[in-house]
Amino acid sequence: MCGIIGYTGFREARPILLDGLKRLDYRGYDSAGLAIIGTSLKVYKDVGEIATIEKKIPAMKGTIGIGHTRWATHGGVTKENAHPHLSCDKKTAIVHNGIIENFQPLKETLLKKGHIFTSQTDSEIIAHLIDDEYTGDFQEAVFAAVAKIKGSYSIVIVSEHAPGKVFGTRKESPLVVGVGDNENFLASDIPAFLKYTNRAIPLDDGELCVITHNTVTIYDAHKKPLKKKEELITWDIKDAEKSGFPHFMLKEIYEQTDTIHQVLRGRLSEIEETITFTPDVEQLLATNFSTLHIVACGTSYYASLVGKYYIEKLTNIPVEVALASEYRYYGNHNPNALVIAVTQSGETADTIAVLKEAKNSGQHTLVITNVIGSTATRVADSYILTQSGPEIGVAATKTFTAQITTLFLLALKTATLHHTLEPADTYTYIIQLKDLSRHIRDVLQRNDQINTIAHHLKDATSAFYIGRGVDYPIALEGALKLKEISYIHAEGFAAGELKHGPLALLTTETPVIAIVTPSPTYDKMIANIGEIKARGSPVIAIAEDKDTEIDKHVDYVLRYPCDTTDLSCIVITVLLQLLAYHTANLRGCSIDKPRNLAKSVTVE
Amino acid sequence: MKCVILAAGEGKRMHPLTYSRPKVMLPIAGKPIVEWNLLNAIHAGLKDFLFIISYKSEMVRDYFQDGTPWNVKISYINQGKPQGTAHAIGITETFTDDFIVLCGDTIFGTNDIKNLMKKGLKIGVTTIEDPSQYGVVNLEGDTLRAIHEKEPNPVSNIINAGIYHFDQSVFPAIKKTQKSLRGEYEITDSINMLTQTNPMQVVHLKEWRDVVYPWHLLDANEEMLQKQTPSCLGTIHDKATCLGPIVIGTDTTILPGAYIEGPVYIGSNCKIGPNCYIRPYTSIGDYCHIGNAVEIKNSIIMDHSNVPHQNYVGDSIIGQHCNLGAGTKLANLRLDKNDITVTLNGAKINTKRKKLGAIIGDNVQTGINATINTGTIIGNESFIGPGAIVTGELRPQARIW
Repeated sequence: MCGIIGYTGFREARPILLDGLKRLDYRGYDSAGLAIIGTSLKVYKDVGEIATIEKKIPAMKGTIGIGHTRWATHGGVTKENAHPHLSCDKKTAIVHNGIIENFQPLKETLLKKGHIFTSQTDSEIIAHLIDDEYTGDFQEAVFAAVAKIKGSYSIVIVSEHAPGKVFGTRKESPLVVGVGDNENFLASDIPAFLKYTNRAIPLDDGELCVITHNTVTIYDAHKKPLKKKEELITWDIKDAEKSGFPHFMLKEIYEQTDTIHQVLRGRLSEIEETITFTPDVEQLLATNFSTLHIVACGTSYYASLVGKYYIEKLTNIPVEVALASEYRYYGNHNPNALVIAVTQSGETADTIAVLKEAKNSGQHTLVITNVIGSTATRVADSYILTQSGPEIGVAATKTFTAQITTLFLLALKTATLHHTLEPADTYTYIIQLKDLSRHIRDVLQRNDQINTIAHHLKDATSAFYIGRGVDYPIALEGALKLKEISYIHAEGFAAGELKHGPLALLTTETPVIAIVTPSPTYDKMIANIGEIKARGSPVIAIAEDKDTEIDKHVDYVLRYPCDTTDLSCIVITVLLQLLAYHTANLRGCSIDKPRNLAKSVTVE
Repeated sequence: MKCVILAAGEGKRMHPLTYSRPKVMLPIAGKPIVEWNLLNAIHAGLKDFLFIISYKSEMVRDYFQDGTPWNVKISYINQGKPQGTAHAIGITETFTDDFIVLCGDTIFGTNDIKNLMKKGLKIGVTTIEDPSQYGVVNLEGDTLRAIHEKEPNPVSNIINAGIYHFDQSVFPAIKKTQKSLRGEYEITDSINMLTQTNPMQVVHLKEWRDVVYPWHLLDANEEMLQKQTPSCLGTIHDKATCLGPIVIGTDTTILPGAYIEGPVYIGSNCKIGPNCYIRPYTSIGDYCHIGNAVEIKNSIIMDHSNVPHQNYVGDSIIGQHCNLGAGTKLANLRLDKNDITVTLNGAKINTKRKKLGAIIGDNVQTGINATINTGTIIGNESFIGPGAIVTGELRPQARIW
């Protein structure tokens, strides 16, 4: 997730832009750059840490400028691919976060007109496109260029053609105006300017904003000026990294509407009805492997269990899921197996050891990780990024749902490559994926209700989670979340397994969380709930909005809005995360840093 | 000529009152400290103001807006992270040429500001009893030689008062200024450099009221109330008694049996009485209720607070939205008549006052018959239960039973 800042005012822009970028570094980055207009437009960009880049930047005088931190997704980590990007006349500079879906045809047109490109990014076309549209009115050129691009973006622009002005626009990527005194700001997030002003106007999709040192003008997509209210930010710089949330975990739970979008970004084309990974990943998935071995630890292991369900359902290729610490010593190292490692940090010691040994025994390896440049990405043959931005809460939340979504995409792509899925079915899944963010937002809006139910859980000493099919690993993950942050002993079970042992542990004080989805096993779940109720244990059901039957069988119901069985497990995960969060919060636990746990386990 | 008013500071030594407002917005005789400065500067002939703001900046901006209510122009600069007076003045470079700078939390007089405005670089100074906590000035006739900050054995009793007349020549000196030991860019260091090349004339101030700790507000309140012109925009019942100079705001009602001895300030929309005794040097904000059998003396009660039944409030400050339970009393005198010592931010301070009640933050509620001892500090949003006896320093959100 890239970070963006723009400034116009009375102060020297350089320190303000650099400071703003540092405040955005939680978004993760691999390169950074600035453009400042003094007597003329000057740009400096490089690969590396801002603190290092800062020392190398020459003195750049001027009180207007833009800055960018890049988290590479398209085009390698190089100085040329870092932002800002310039137009051919070097008078206009842009920074961009997101993806321009139609950049290929636009680039071809611009190349024909003689524009010269210096990077491999999609972003660069924006600068050339504006330049191409410019006939004397720069603002009109910005409007015209923005109208031509398709995709998700937040863009900030400065130009010698428009002295004193900074332009910004967004679609499906964040951009906020900071309204200051004799100065104004545009940034991806409020912490970038909070030191200088606590008045913010978040822009909405399709809006275009022009700021000068003393004016802020916002237009809708039809160039009509809008009146928008300033919001007063009451949290201070100390809370800034948490964006006003009391814990990183809650912030990260709420980010999932965005991270799911990030996973799909650039990989899912609704228009062409296709799924795209990088060529080397696609080549790997197209090979004729007889089986897939997925190895992981902790939460990633549960994501892998969901992945197994998806891959087997869509491709009929047998999948074996193993814990890295077990597979390493006891697994069958079938040379015809493709080994997929799932690790958030890319540094998990056991998982990396598996990757190394797999390579030694001639297996192909693929890693799904959140951190570009991590050890796992260097060891494996190829990697897929979950593109979720850094996760600071020790309990994995957004990276878990990102991993599941990535595995679903991988299953879909493999099915297409191995011709086990009809194109029409692929399209149906693409539409369902597109709806996912909306369903998650819907669940987040039920936060208060989930908090109420958490009161019934907070005094328990033990709790059980049950589910069937794809919901079984979700039950395991739900239990893991509860135990790791609230310290309540919690176990997940396949619902059918209860009567083979765990039922003996049930008392009237043992809440059971039952995931009841409208699958072929619905009636079996109801029967299992009956077995539990017979022992007097309170049951909290997780059920679909449309389910009118469930109330008759359980004590409490938490509803979720999804109607697609395969992907509903992601929406249910968000619900269970909130349930664990509120329970831990009610018990007064240290949510972001649970006792005895570390974020990335780099020991074996 | 532009007037730069430094209004960015939080004022940690003014806790708990500054948890919810910047220091310059603390009310004295019905107006924020900085408004007294604004009014005096306007009387001196200044019309163009630049406020340097940061901590809770929206409160300053919302109150003063663009200056229209005062028929002057007010604009703002956000200092960002406060890094000292030199930093604050330094960021005004592109907005100023020949200008006055004054500290918004010290009250300066109209005539003194006029003298500062005369041609040439100037610095305001004043003579005080204990200069150890201030910058002592070293003079040669009426010319400043140097300022020595907070020295244990000061060379004189004359101190830097915090008001200056500068021009563009100050900015090169500010740029050369290094961080001081306490990690800030101090304007006194810049001035010591500036005077090497550009002599600064000294102006001895006639009026100067500095407020550092909360109880200093009571002294400033007393001084400003003595100067106020009586007026009444509210309703006084004919069975109420009003003596001496009193200001009463619009829609305030003084009910029968209220006995008010000026100088007293009462804001708008208040209900005073019936049957209460308000003694001299009391300032009451807007939307307050002072009820039956209540006695208040030498105190500041801020907006939306109630002192409703059988209370005694002496030499005290009560924040906004507070409510005292029936019978809650605030003691203001030790039985041994010794100086009252206060614990503020964990440190003990002798206030050198024989009489001091409580300093109470915003949104504090007390129960019936709560007893609050001399020099007690009560943090915001605290609850004092019925019959509780409170003393010392209470952190915000304290619960005392």
